[in-house]
Amino acid sequence: MISGINLCVLCAAVLACLMVGSLHLRLNLFLYGVETLFIAGATVLTANAHGDASLICIAILIGTLKALGVPFFLLRTSEKLNVHRDVGAMITPPLAMHLSIVLFALSFVLTRNIPTPQLVVNGWYGAAAGISLLFTGLVVMLTRRLAIGQILGFLVIENGIYVFALTQTLGMPMLVEMGILLDMLVGVMVCGVLVFKIQKSFEHIDVALLTNLKE
Amino acid sequence: MNDINTDVLRSCSHWILFVSSIAILPPVCLTLIRKTKARLQSRIGPPLLQPFYDLIKLCRKSETVSSTMSGMFRLASVAGLATIILLAWLTPWLSYKPWSPSADLFLIIYLFALARVFSLLGALDSGSAFGAFGASREVTLGLLVEPALMLGLVALGLFCGSSDLRMIFSYPQTIGGGAAAGAGAAGIWLLVGIAILLASLIELSRMPVDDPTTHLELTMVHEAMVLEASGRNLALIEFAHALRMSIFFGLSAQCFVHALASVCRINTLTQGILSVVGIFGIAIFVGVLESLAVKLQWRKVPEFVAYVVSMSLLAAFVAAGNGGIKL
Repeated sequence: MISGINLCVLCAAVLACLMVGSLHLRLNLFLYGVETLFIAGATVLTANAHGDASLICIAILIGTLKALGVPFFLLRTSEKLNVHRDVGAMITPPLAMHLSIVLFALSFVLTRNIPTPQLVVNGWYGAAAGISLLFTGLVVMLTRRLAIGQILGFLVIENGIYVFALTQTLGMPMLVEMGILLDMLVGVMVCGVLVFKIQKSFEHIDVALLTNLKE
Repeated sequence: MNDINTDVLRSCSHWILFVSSIAILPPVCLTLIRKTKARLQSRIGPPLLQPFYDLIKLCRKSETVSSTMSGMFRLASVAGLATIILLAWLTPWLSYKPWSPSADLFLIIYLFALARVFSLLGALDSGSAFGAFGASREVTLGLLVEPALMLGLVALGLFCGSSDLRMIFSYPQTIGGGAAAGAGAAGIWLLVGIAILLASLIELSRMPVDDPTTHLELTMVHEAMVLEASGRNLALIEFAHALRMSIFFGLSAQCFVHALASVCRINTLTQGILSVVGIFGIAIFVGVLESLAVKLQWRKVPEFVAYVVSMSLLAAFVAAGNGGIKL
């Protein structure tokens, strides 16, 4: 039987795969928000299972900052820049979505033999979800051409690392978690401002054309 | 002696129940969709039996036939309805069936394709340009949705170890299924249910793909094909389309019922009631969806189909990972 924690992180991984299939920024950001809410839910369940009160605090922070704050900030940025749809690069979104689902299945094979601490029950699902989120973030970064899409892919990778750490360990020190969260938040803010600057200087945020910067 | 009498009585009542479901469920589904849309637009909407009245009205009307038509036009609508009724008998879309024959999943998929071929022939035979437009779009949609649907059903077959739909849809009652099957089984049924539901929206040319209430012939799919039909012919086509809709909704509802059955125990009576309630629930969901969603650009339809394929693909992987391969 799959536990609630594993169900939550697997749902998050599947939602991330579905996110790859559309280029609409609003839909992407919405799916990212829901995915992160699932991860926050998994954190609450882990806190319940381990009896660790600091994890609840982290879950609340993730729920408010990462699941609501970041998507709203990026949505506002995209509305200010007047971009609603990514252009897409390399692979078309439907194929990329299928690719990320294949990678989702592959991550189960890859993580089959990862050693976990004795106390972690059924760590396989969590590890697979984490690795799958990593892959999916990579696919997002590969198939998006606008800077906001790149940020989104980076955020999905960050989610993957967090899920892996959450499910494979018996809890990280709260200070480390908070530090990572803060770093990520500042990173997104800086990226948002940078995107503005890029738009101002080059009149587009297409990362494929950034090579024009070379002399 | 008494036992035999009870058996006969039971099978008779099953037959009556099944045949009346075939007659009643499709028009009621149509009304539910229209009623939901009307309610969401603050209208009262049609009465519950409006599709019946429409069918009776169409049967009474005289027919206008274009001079270019051959006998194929009329034959196509009759053969289409016959194929769909055969499908209603073969497909396990209701929990209560008097006698379920064994039906391979590939047979079902290609019988649906055969029904489509008949409607295409009818549309092309009418000789109107719009009919050909509609036929061309219908073929495109059929090509797109067929692999997605097949992958979903094959995932179920992989999980249950049989390509026979009767075996697949009686799986939770037999060994290996039931309340012990757990979350993996529920996940597969749920994913395939969603895949069939989304595929049915494409297959029946409903909202995100095509607007069934549009008056613009240039964007119609199903409506463009039946533009030249009138009178009894139109009544046959409309009823066949509605029946096809309820078969698809029923198949999807069956998947959801099985998902429920693999996490908790439900008895046969509840399953029968749930299968009908599920069809109505899906019809209402489609009504809500049609009120909220906008029609996709024709070029964006493959992106929508990709989501169906993804659901089926996920289900197939879960089935393969669940130790389902024991053929």
